[in-house]
Amino acid sequence: MSEKKSTSTAAVKKESLPAFEQTTAIEIHDLVVKYGSKRAVDGLTFKVPTGAIFGFLGPNGSGKTTTIKTLLGFRQPDGGSARVFGYDVASQSLQVRAHVGFVSETNSLYDFLTIPQLCAFCRSISLEWNQRVVDRYIGLFGLPAREKVGNLSKGMKSQLALSLALGSNPDLLILDEPTAGLDPLARHEFLNTLVSEVAAEGKTIFFSSHILSEVEAVSDWVAIIRKGKLVLCDELDHLKQTQKVVKLTYTELPPATEIEMLNSLPGVMSLAQEGRSVRLVAHGDVDALTQTIQARPYALRGVETVDLNLEDLFLEYMKEKNDGR
Amino acid sequence: MPNWLDVNPRSGVPIYVQLVEQIKHALEVGVLQTGEQLPTVRQLASELTIAPNTIVKAYDELAKLGLIESRQGVGTIVVAELDGTLRKQQQEALFQRLQVLVRDASHLGISAEVLNDHFVAAIAQFYQQQLASQLRQEYEQRS
Repeated sequence: MSEKKSTSTAAVKKESLPAFEQTTAIEIHDLVVKYGSKRAVDGLTFKVPTGAIFGFLGPNGSGKTTTIKTLLGFRQPDGGSARVFGYDVASQSLQVRAHVGFVSETNSLYDFLTIPQLCAFCRSISLEWNQRVVDRYIGLFGLPAREKVGNLSKGMKSQLALSLALGSNPDLLILDEPTAGLDPLARHEFLNTLVSEVAAEGKTIFFSSHILSEVEAVSDWVAIIRKGKLVLCDELDHLKQTQKVVKLTYTELPPATEIEMLNSLPGVMSLAQEGRSVRLVAHGDVDALTQTIQARPYALRGVETVDLNLEDLFLEYMKEKNDGR
Repeated sequence: MPNWLDVNPRSGVPIYVQLVEQIKHALEVGVLQTGEQLPTVRQLASELTIAPNTIVKAYDELAKLGLIESRQGVGTIVVAELDGTLRKQQQEALFQRLQVLVRDASHLGISAEVLNDHFVAAIAQFYQQQLASQLRQEYEQRS
């Protein structure tokens, strides 16, 4: 198929991005989205920097999909705002969609169409279309070019959905649980193409997932939400460098006042004591913290600082929130 | 991919730190030498399935240390072996680790004499192994 610009008559032309919005791809501010009286998204605030591979994490039912639907204009915010490249998702959803490609968990591709027919359909509803790009990805994934969509495996359908989402040359790719239900090999291939092709071209990738290990490997930014609220949002490297567990072993049982003192030290997020052992979850300058603790008048037999991986961090934060309720 | 790179995304150590350390180590032991080319960001992203930005960050860090340089049309190349100051820093860090080890040993009730014996034994073992593999190589070259 030759490369053709779409002849779509949509009212909005895709414009190049305004210069002032080049560093922030998504900006969500105090967003509220309700289902009846239930707040699926409850005062959510965070930013996604341009060029990031941003992993959007949370337990089932935490509001990930609702947030994504709102970003795409499928849901109206009940409060707060969300902007994509500076465009308001509620009032400028056409401009938003001109810059966004979307791959969902339950890709409702039309089973009765062949791949070329589906490409033609997508082209007809897009402001911009580059069939060469789509064909390149279809080739990369080794998809059977003339097959009916209904005959493709689940993994192939995800790969096709990604190929099609890239056809409109989006600056931002939003993926809702893109690897759900894929076998490990298909998942690896999908993620590999995402990082080595899509991200390497400088596109911003925002993807939700509950598979921590895949997020940990491919993303450089993460946000965790729970019950519609933000738990944390940070650069993954920074997160790993500033969040640690410190294990203290005292020579003698430390008095309760000392434990209270430890708990009140800046950077101590939580504390658990079992006899002479104290386990701290620390944040920030952990070296300075351990030095402060070692300078206290209670003799320590051991001080151990443990790095946390994303799964550890996720569990620590979930614990934290549970304790607070 | 260079087989001396072995990144573990599931570690608590940031991936870019792992990359920086491993590339530094490769320079130190001479696996990587001046003028040699590093994989492109895209190649490495593809090989390791990690975010390109993470690799850029690691390369930036190494460039800041004056160890590598990105050149238009050529790629990223090694411009310097680990210089004296960096090596000295690493040596100092190692001696500090040694002190920690001695302190830990004393906490565990290991006497200075026993620790010294083990230290001497470890040195002997390492250098014997090196000697053995050197002899083996020479033998293989001859035959």
